Amino acid sequence: MLPSVSDPVYSEAPSSAAGALLRLEGITKRFPGVLALDGVSFEVRRGEVHAVCGENGAGKSTLMKIVSGQYQPDAGTLHYHGEACTFRSTAESEAVGIAIIHQELNLVPHLSVAENIFLAREPRKGWLIDRAALRRNARRCLDRLGLDIAPDVLVKTLSVAQQQMVEIAKALSLNAQVLIMDEPTSSLTESETEKLFAIIHELKRAGVGIVYISHRLDELAQIVDRVTVLRDGRHVSTDRFADTSVEQIVARMVGRSLDDVFPRRNSSPTPDVLLRARGLTRQGVFHDVSFELRRGEILGFAGLMGAGRTEVARAIFGADPLDAGEVLLGEQRLAIRSPRDAVRHGLAYLSEDRKHDGLALKMTVAQNITLANMDAVSNRVGMIRFDQEQAAAARYIEALGIRTPSSSQIVRLLSGGNQQKLVISKWLFRDSRILFFDEPTRGIDVGAKYAIYQLLDQLADQGIGVVMISSELPEIMGMTDRVAVFHEGRLVTVLTTRETSQEEVMHYASGRSIPPIPEFSPGPTDD
Amino acid sequence: MTERQKDLFQKFAALASLLGLVVIFSFTSNAFFTVGNGMTVALQVTSIAYLGIAATCVIITGGIDLSVGAILALAGVVAAMAAKAGVPVPLAMLAGLLVGALCGLINGLCVTALKLPPFIATLGMMLVARGVALQITDAKAIGGLGDSFAELGNGSLWRMVNIGADGFPDVVFVGIPYPVLLMVVLAVAVSILLNRATLGRHLYAVGSNLEAARLSGVNVQRVTLFAYVFSGLLAGLTGCVLMSRLVTAQPSEGLMYELDAIAAAVIGGTSLTGGVGTISGTVIGAFVIGILRNGLNMAGVSAFTQQILIGLVILLAVWIDQMRHRK
Repeated sequence: MLPSVSDPVYSEAPSSAAGALLRLEGITKRFPGVLALDGVSFEVRRGEVHAVCGENGAGKSTLMKIVSGQYQPDAGTLHYHGEACTFRSTAESEAVGIAIIHQELNLVPHLSVAENIFLAREPRKGWLIDRAALRRNARRCLDRLGLDIAPDVLVKTLSVAQQQMVEIAKALSLNAQVLIMDEPTSSLTESETEKLFAIIHELKRAGVGIVYISHRLDELAQIVDRVTVLRDGRHVSTDRFADTSVEQIVARMVGRSLDDVFPRRNSSPTPDVLLRARGLTRQGVFHDVSFELRRGEILGFAGLMGAGRTEVARAIFGADPLDAGEVLLGEQRLAIRSPRDAVRHGLAYLSEDRKHDGLALKMTVAQNITLANMDAVSNRVGMIRFDQEQAAAARYIEALGIRTPSSSQIVRLLSGGNQQKLVISKWLFRDSRILFFDEPTRGIDVGAKYAIYQLLDQLADQGIGVVMISSELPEIMGMTDRVAVFHEGRLVTVLTTRETSQEEVMHYASGRSIPPIPEFSPGPTDD
Repeated sequence: MTERQKDLFQKFAALASLLGLVVIFSFTSNAFFTVGNGMTVALQVTSIAYLGIAATCVIITGGIDLSVGAILALAGVVAAMAAKAGVPVPLAMLAGLLVGALCGLINGLCVTALKLPPFIATLGMMLVARGVALQITDAKAIGGLGDSFAELGNGSLWRMVNIGADGFPDVVFVGIPYPVLLMVVLAVAVSILLNRATLGRHLYAVGSNLEAARLSGVNVQRVTLFAYVFSGLLAGLTGCVLMSRLVTAQPSEGLMYELDAIAAAVIGGTSLTGGVGTISGTVIGAFVIGILRNGLNMAGVSAFTQQILIGLVILLAVWIDQMRHRK
């Protein structure tokens, strides 16, 4: 029997941790060449939300993988309900009630929602799957989250946000006593996040202990009871959230104080228009989008997930087709049919998903930097001049402060922030004049974010036009000169950042008082 | 171990096992470690090496080519038929090469324009090319091709022969067979292409991350097309060399050669997921297979047992490769 916690009084002595569901003591984990965790102690109590904060590489994910049985610690003990135990696999930890919601989605795209939720736990009738029970149980899980998703649809047809919610539903269906959430809100909209938080509050009341990992520190205040900070594999602090502040947490994460989250803007836009988009339309995706980008300007694209911001950028870049509209570079009308054309005209698109379509992960730092401009480092017959390639790589590694052992390091082994700098290097080496930068700081730790912001400012100062697509409103407010706000495939308005507020941007982004999009007429119907 | 050390380890492991095989077979048969047998092995390995080099280029882009065995038969048969019809041998062989390249072009277009999975596109070509080869020859071998047709496959460079006092020739040096010479030239040339040319870099980029390559302005279609045309061309070359060596064109020649080619690439560390592979590795892989065959033959091991052993070697090689990539 477990003693119940009446109120969340914080006790200083870990040994008297009443209601500790899960307690880790002196956990050490070593990988070849890296000490990932160094004597970390940590506990989760019944009915608390315990945030774990730290930069990338601080050891958060490794710690969670030890809790869920994916890794075994080299030293230290794990106590669950007061008893020392070891989990050799996720199945073992799930069996006793520890569930993990992964940051990267772990769903099977070609199975239905219901089949995914109960994968390997299918209700059975003899040897066969009890399909009725499967659907019924799945419906119940989805209803609990207030999700309007049919249990029978295939997961691959869902949006990323919906998939994330299914993942959450799956974890809840395990009736976990300890629930680990790794960046659960990174792809959720505001309203979905609110829904998730309501569920978290409900789970708290039911006595579930929740470990919550998030880069979005501003959302912690709504749900978190205690917060543990890790840095370089070591435990830095554990406090009641009420006794600390986001600034303090950030300072502890990076081990130094950041004066501000955003650097001072040194650049300012010029009046010359670099790029003009007029009436861009892609049927069923976005409609009649027009905007101007000036030399030296950072133009924000704000809006909810699925508002069409990324799609507009991709279409201008030639990665997806345009149905109507024109793009002008200065006065010249561009005919861009493929990314090759766009690159030739000095456009660059930095994808929101670096690993999927930004970098060749198996190739080296130098090879990635020169990939978009091989001609600059090769002779007339197409032979690569390695001395020039190395020199170019060295120049950008130095200029952008890319932390890598050498220019021949395989890119997969770099941290997220350094990978992002690498993608930027690639486009700078191409002499790009217009950068479409999709979610430039997604999944990047606080220190590296600051460096990326500084870089954006420098680029603008050199006269480059930057379009920054971001779902982080503070980032839009902190870095841009103007904001184009999107809602359901339309560019609703363009605001001057200095004269607007987060509330106003949200107002437009959420589509209040906006005429509905006209039905797309498919042209003359055939009889 | 760093990536680089792991890489060297993998290379070294393949090379070490190759040397290990040589040592073992030298003990099992006295005739194994001789210049003559060395040349025989090299000659036998050439087909696997040509096709392996082609397979490496295709696999680096993340594709696969199952049709090379059939293409080589078709190309060889066409070359032989042309020669038989009175076309000068060099032109006849050129026709064979063109047929190979054409088949490769069709493969490439199926993959790039029709967006068929490479496995399916080349599986179709495998059946079509083989069918055409059997059709046009009535499934009969073409013999009596003459000495000039045999020259490419059987001639040697620097072959030194003394005519003895008794009138019988006395071979001083067996020479370097043309197919072996061709293999060396090809290996060096393609190695340079992959390592030093922008085209080679683009092959790796497409295989490592197609979307990133496309968004970087790489002409993904053209690069992919090149890989398949080149593969077809080398299959055509293999067909010409092989038929010339046998001085007979067999429409059923080259059966399952595509699998040897893929095996050579994989033993040499080429990753089937694309983006990784070297010609030096593939050549080592080709020699591992060739020496296994030759050595086991000389040791009197049956063909069936050989097949089992080669199968196990492939599994072992890929397992080592997986170990290397596991963190």
